[in-house]
Amino acid sequence: MNNIVVFGGSSHPSLVEKICGNLGIKPSQVKLGKFSNGETSISIGESVREKDVYVIQSGCGHVNDNFIELLILLNACKTASASRVTAVMPYFCYSRQPDIPYTAKGAPLISKPKETYTFESVPGTPVPSMATTQKPRVPSDGPISSSNIDNTTTSESSNLEHPEPVRSSEGGDLHKSPSQSRIPMVPERKENSSELGSLFNANNAGYKLWVAQAGTLVANLLTTAGADHVITMDLHDSQFQGFFDIPVDNLYSKPIAHNYIQYNIPEYKEAVVVSPDAGGAKRAASLADSLGISFALIHKEKRSQLPKGPPDASLTSGGGAAVSGKPLIASVSSLALNSQEMRSSSSSSRYVQTTMLVGDVRNKTCILVDDLVDTSYTITRAAKLLKDQGATKVYALITHGVFSGDALNRVSMSAIDKIIVTNSVPQHKTVKFMGKDRVHVLDISQIFGESIRRIHNGESISMLFELGW
Amino acid sequence: MATNAIKLLAPDVHRGLAELVAKRLGLKLTDTKLIRDPTGEVSFSIQESVRDQDIFIITQIGSGVVNDRVLELLVMINACKTASARRITSVLPNFPYARQDRKDKSRAPITAKLMADMLTTAGCDHVVTMDLHASQIQGFFDVPVDNLYAEPSVVRYIRENINFSEAIIISPDAGGAKRAAALADRLDLNFALIHKERARANEISKMVLVGDVTDKICIIVDDMADTCGTLAKAAEVLLENRAKSVIAIVTHGVLSGKAIQNINNSKLDRVVCTSTVPFEEKMKLCPKLAVIDVSAVLAESIRRLHNGESISYLFKHSPL
Repeated sequence: MNNIVVFGGSSHPSLVEKICGNLGIKPSQVKLGKFSNGETSISIGESVREKDVYVIQSGCGHVNDNFIELLILLNACKTASASRVTAVMPYFCYSRQPDIPYTAKGAPLISKPKETYTFESVPGTPVPSMATTQKPRVPSDGPISSSNIDNTTTSESSNLEHPEPVRSSEGGDLHKSPSQSRIPMVPERKENSSELGSLFNANNAGYKLWVAQAGTLVANLLTTAGADHVITMDLHDSQFQGFFDIPVDNLYSKPIAHNYIQYNIPEYKEAVVVSPDAGGAKRAASLADSLGISFALIHKEKRSQLPKGPPDASLTSGGGAAVSGKPLIASVSSLALNSQEMRSSSSSSRYVQTTMLVGDVRNKTCILVDDLVDTSYTITRAAKLLKDQGATKVYALITHGVFSGDALNRVSMSAIDKIIVTNSVPQHKTVKFMGKDRVHVLDISQIFGESIRRIHNGESISMLFELGW
Repeated sequence: MATNAIKLLAPDVHRGLAELVAKRLGLKLTDTKLIRDPTGEVSFSIQESVRDQDIFIITQIGSGVVNDRVLELLVMINACKTASARRITSVLPNFPYARQDRKDKSRAPITAKLMADMLTTAGCDHVVTMDLHASQIQGFFDVPVDNLYAEPSVVRYIRENINFSEAIIISPDAGGAKRAAALADRLDLNFALIHKERARANEISKMVLVGDVTDKICIIVDDMADTCGTLAKAAEVLLENRAKSVIAIVTHGVLSGKAIQNINNSKLDRVVCTSTVPFEEKMKLCPKLAVIDVSAVLAESIRRLHNGESISYLFKHSPL
């Protein structure tokens, strides 16, 4: 390995060590620190003139500090006459769009952080309500039918115990920890109209709230700093590659995930790969295809609901027609907003969030697949829905386990039996918190090491997308 | 129809200066919302249309989480750009990373240049700053940079608050000699210089005074006070040389690290900083701190920029 220089940022030193170990070289000398006023200071300890430089920095920890550190490192290498500078970002920060759900008025819906978590109540999993009782039962199959009844009764009781879904916004105490959520938390109540007014300018009635995204900006900043090439893994949107004017190699964790499932999940051929939202369906389906097993999908949607009639009646979408063995459509309603509020705010249009499981998971092992888990609301909610629908065991397969805020707490209290996560973001906290039995960390250093080797030597890296890795 | 009015934007922290500027211009700060996710990523929303407007983003960057402030600013600029603003002017009284402006050793980053490139990349059309550490930083930009001076405000402060007939202007290092000499000329005062040998960043070594300060009120003038080690040491040197008292006037009071402790323990009578950097909470801890308000200069420059008038008047005169 001639002429190669690998620098590690301060975000993930152990991954840097591992990648360099795979390359058979040592990480190059670089001093990272801060001046007393908080500005980042770096000093590079080796010559990089006419070298092929790789800077490894994951978008974790204190994201902005680490990102600017990466930019300064790239820029320092570039101005020190490096022949090529490659940014290696196992987890690409700022790659996803925060989803802000809107009410009919244009105000974002509120998610309320909870203080304590229990298996049942958190994370406000949509509980199967009356609609589920209309599911087709199998008359010839006694035990399943009875378990079905048991299941619905228990879920009904839990419904009674927890009549309020988590998404309800009911009090004025919502803005106590705005940093806990990606969504600006504003109670949609009349007495808090000043709060609302600060978010939604009443004088600009025609102007719809709009949140700027940093995607292109981050891409442009990397290019500006001098990056000639970017290597990353499981980008949240593959369109992100198009934001760059430089080549972006998006690696996949699928081969190692496939490998793990094949050798570590007993009777994986009977398991079901589940995507917790429609956006991840493609990713989950391709994993299911390569494993040759079946696939299910959890679909959340917001529907306009008719003002009259019972809430659930309009939501049973053809579930009754399904026959045994065919995919069930369990239509489960969870009120997106406090219903009283909705009535007070608008009488004609009501929105109800429905969560549907498309596919059969009864008595099966489920493998939830997601690329990124941050607040963990989606995945823990999905896990509970799967258990409610009769799944025996729920694995969660995650590429980037960011687990911000109290996500780890939520995950450890959730229905997820085992988490399989890559080390694109440091996972020692996860392992410590959840215990070694419930967490398995997949090592991605080999993939990154090999891709760096191949890119350095000008070889193809498409082989890394295939199995065997 | 396009009105092309001024829109003033500020991040959600350290809005003090921006609010003063807005008040002076008779405007209100535009309603904005910075959304931080728990990992620190920010996204930004503007509650009014900014299409075809003249945007001024006033950001005070002090010590502490500099990188967060920088990225927030970039996201804000980019948000305005993608929202079809006519012109985006970044008002950065204290330019971040201004001291990283040259390759002082092998492979050192020129972060000031990187900052300039990043601002331009984000979509900044114009930069207004104050007392750049090195005015050459203006050359790092491909967009116009207006480097305002705190000097007129400082002159006013000295005239109003210090018995300046017995005063002498001191430059704490050779690099600041030009700035100190200019101020001394304006006030028709004498001028002395302290020569120091700096070992490493944020550390000081021995100091030599050039000039006579006997029985004088010494006014140390510098562009930036960081840990204030230099200022404290300079005050000692001056008092050893029979100075009457020592006052420091600094443009950017970053005051990081042990600055408050250093000032409190030093022989400085007073440390006066302009309001380019927010340090209100530090003033409570340190009675020796005083502030020169520069919001008038910034407000006037914004007004002139918007109307396409000359800025150079502000280089010599301090608006009320």
